[in-house]
Amino acid sequence: MDQKHASSPLAGAVHDLATEVVLALRSGDHLATVCGAAGIDEENRTGIAAVRVIGADLLLPSVLYGRHPHPGDVAVLDRAVREFPPKPDAPAATAWSHWHMISTLQRMAPPAPGAAAPGAYAEPDAAWLEEAPWQAFTHQLSVLAPLAVPAAPSAVQRAAANRAVDLSRGFVRAVRRRDWLQAAGAGRWLAAVGGEPATLGLERGLDFVEQMGGHDPRVTLHVRAARLMAEARAR
Amino acid sequence: MFTTDTTATDIELDLDAALNPGEVEGLYRDSRECAYLALLAGGGALLLSPPTPRPKKG
Repeated sequence: MDQKHASSPLAGAVHDLATEVVLALRSGDHLATVCGAAGIDEENRTGIAAVRVIGADLLLPSVLYGRHPHPGDVAVLDRAVREFPPKPDAPAATAWSHWHMISTLQRMAPPAPGAAAPGAYAEPDAAWLEEAPWQAFTHQLSVLAPLAVPAAPSAVQRAAANRAVDLSRGFVRAVRRRDWLQAAGAGRWLAAVGGEPATLGLERGLDFVEQMGGHDPRVTLHVRAARLMAEARAR
Repeated sequence: MFTTDTTATDIELDLDAALNPGEVEGLYRDSRECAYLALLAGGGALLLSPPTPRPKKG
């Protein structure tokens, strides 16, 4: 990315990293390290912070294509987990994204035989999601879009499945407000959990979101993830 | 990848903001975008529907 146009060094690093994840999703070939392609290693603190923002989506190509993640990406994700734990007063969404990074590491890169097993890490509270108005619910779910992946059950995913119609309303609202990132995140959740009204036209809606918001690689990342999950569900 | 002399505090402030973004200010679709949606055959009925009526005051 041309860093002159990034609002901050972190925003530029997030843009670069999301772009590499999208390239890996498009090609289906993630044997090359995503972080390496984005110029991020364990010594680059801005890059590690960018990995904290992208979260478990760093390993999304491996998750969706069912392959082993690159050890370099696993190491950087693990570093981001340790470097940026949620503060005691952190919002619930921050705790949840951190929890999901740990959960993904445990699922995708379990410790070698004989190595010390990581400690158990309980799910953060999710009761607030059940009571949130549908607008705030969709906004928070969009922030937590990396949790919208197959075979990764969580209280957030159960809340999404239970409120698919609210998510559908939120998807429409986000499109009408031109909030492409929120729309892409909500659409990704609907692709993951299903249950949206047929009249929503999710597939065409996602096409529209990508057409209008595709300049942001995080939008493209969510839309691409949604398509891959929808294709898998249709098989 | 770029390098800067960004401080740890800067990064952490930016990180907190990135992890908990507020909602962007709403900008509603213009007619050009509506026309594009209309061209998308099939589905999208809800996306093209008018806003939900709100109850009148009084």
